[in-house]
Amino acid sequence: METRGDVLISVRDLQKYYNKGAIRALDGISVDINRGDVMVVIGPSGSGKSTFLRSLNLLEHPTGGNIIFDGVDITKKKIKDAFGNWKKLDIDLHRQKMGMVFQHFNLFPHMTILDNITLAPIKVKGIKKEEAEELALKLLDRVGLKGRANDYPIQLSGGQKQRVAIVRALAMEPEVMLFDEPTSALDPEMVGEVLDVIKELAKDGMTMVVVTHEMGFAREVGNRVLFMADGKLLEQGTPEEVFEHPHNPRLQDFLSKVL
Amino acid sequence: MFTAAGFEKTFEYIQLFKEGLICTVALSLFTVIFGFIFALVLSTMRLSDIRPFRFLAIDKEGRELEDGFPAMLGRFNPISFIATVYVEVFRATPMLVQLFIMYYVVLADVQFPEIKILGFIRADRFIPGVVALSMNSAAYLSEIIRAGIQSIDGGQTEAARSLGLSQFETMRYIILPQAIKNILPPIANEFVTIIKESSICYTIGVQEIMYAVSATKGATYRIAEPLVVATVVYFCLTFPTSKIIAYCERRMRRGDKR
Ligand SMILES: Nc1ncnc2c1ncn2[C@@H]1O[C@H](COP(=O)(O)OP(=O)(O)OP(=O)(O)O)[C@@H](O)[C@H]1O
Ligand SMILES: [Mg+2]
Repeated sequence: METRGDVLISVRDLQKYYNKGAIRALDGISVDINRGDVMVVIGPSGSGKSTFLRSLNLLEHPTGGNIIFDGVDITKKKIKDAFGNWKKLDIDLHRQKMGMVFQHFNLFPHMTILDNITLAPIKVKGIKKEEAEELALKLLDRVGLKGRANDYPIQLSGGQKQRVAIVRALAMEPEVMLFDEPTSALDPEMVGEVLDVIKELAKDGMTMVVVTHEMGFAREVGNRVLFMADGKLLEQGTPEEVFEHPHNPRLQDFLSKVL
Repeated sequence: MFTAAGFEKTFEYIQLFKEGLICTVALSLFTVIFGFIFALVLSTMRLSDIRPFRFLAIDKEGRELEDGFPAMLGRFNPISFIATVYVEVFRATPMLVQLFIMYYVVLADVQFPEIKILGFIRADRFIPGVVALSMNSAAYLSEIIRAGIQSIDGGQTEAARSLGLSQFETMRYIILPQAIKNILPPIANEFVTIIKESSICYTIGVQEIMYAVSATKGATYRIAEPLVVATVVYFCLTFPTSKIIAYCERRMRRGDKR
């Protein structure tokens, strides 16, 4: 059994080019994400943070490089199995193990909160409806929204929607959670309630990659901080190293603006 | 131009107009139903992800190529290509030409049974009419369906796929239930268009409203009065229909907010 600290996702020289290389959204990123890591990604706008996160579950298909998740290179269309036979890579299978939370929540507006959460467990994992609902209600209770199970997304505030979106991803019992600026679309008074949920997850040992502009949160919750600019990983370290003793001039400049 | 006597004579043939009305409604209903089914097939073809030459675009390591001729071949989807050609051809050529090709060329040698639908509609004229109209409206309806599907925010697909739902499951559970709200109103409007366009079938002898005009003219030597009657009949058919559609659309919009 793997334990905390093992490499969960190994990213090797990841590249994503647009317009035949004119735009290098990712320009050779290499990093290991360990089990139990809370990895915070910071950097100026357009530096490739979203592209990096979205590449991890192949919402963007990288131009080059490798992403090895659970021992499988998911950037390949075909992989060799244990017997040396080629077989098609089933990306849906890997995506189930990676929960993703978006800036704009992306709840399904035609379904109740409960159905939003139970859809994937029932249809993808084949879990019984009652079981899926029980788990969904338990998770909703944890984020303080049990009473809203039968409401529709439009009836919720932004902060509540984002908490539901987190629960929806958690209901698949993923190995890693990916957050792309989960609080950027929220009114200031709702940022706290969402960050609190993420903090709770961190305490429980969930592996997470969080793109955020909330520097206080990054410092408090992250155990590793990555600084990206122009598609490159320019500096990484503990929050203390990155925030207190930045080396790279770009990072120093960035911090002087945001802190 | 119009005379009371002319109207009197025309009304002697009112039975023809009643039959014409029934025939027009039947023609339009069959057209929109078959057209819709065919349109579903077309839009599924256009949105499909069938790429038989995909293997040409995968390199030795199993990675998909992005540029160059093999990559282009790898992306080629013949099913979608055929559907696109169909839609473009049918939208770019006149309905009358399509109708004549269907009636005088494609179905010329087909022996239709000599039955009369509802007791008066000749099947050998009616069926080619329905086929031609359906094939034409399928091209337009498939564009409506495609636009409805594409109007759904891409974030919905991303959320669904990130949960591990397949492309098909995403379509079935997330996209289509939302798209149907955008698709139904324009389809109903297309039905109104079909009612009007079906008048073209008079040229191949389908006994719809314009056929009644022509028959009445032959018998009474009056043209103005039968045309007035036809206009009134068409208006009474399409105007309430579009009003009902608009009402339902408003109701649906309101239901959206929940
Ligand atoms: N589909 C696309 N086509 C062309 N260029 C793109 C596309 N998507 C992203 N880019 C470019 O890639 C670069 C990185 O974008 P990305 O969204 O990853 O930045 P980011 O760090 O998330 O920025 P922000 O903080 O504003 O969210 C940007 O220059 C962007 O313009
Ligand atoms: Mg971004």
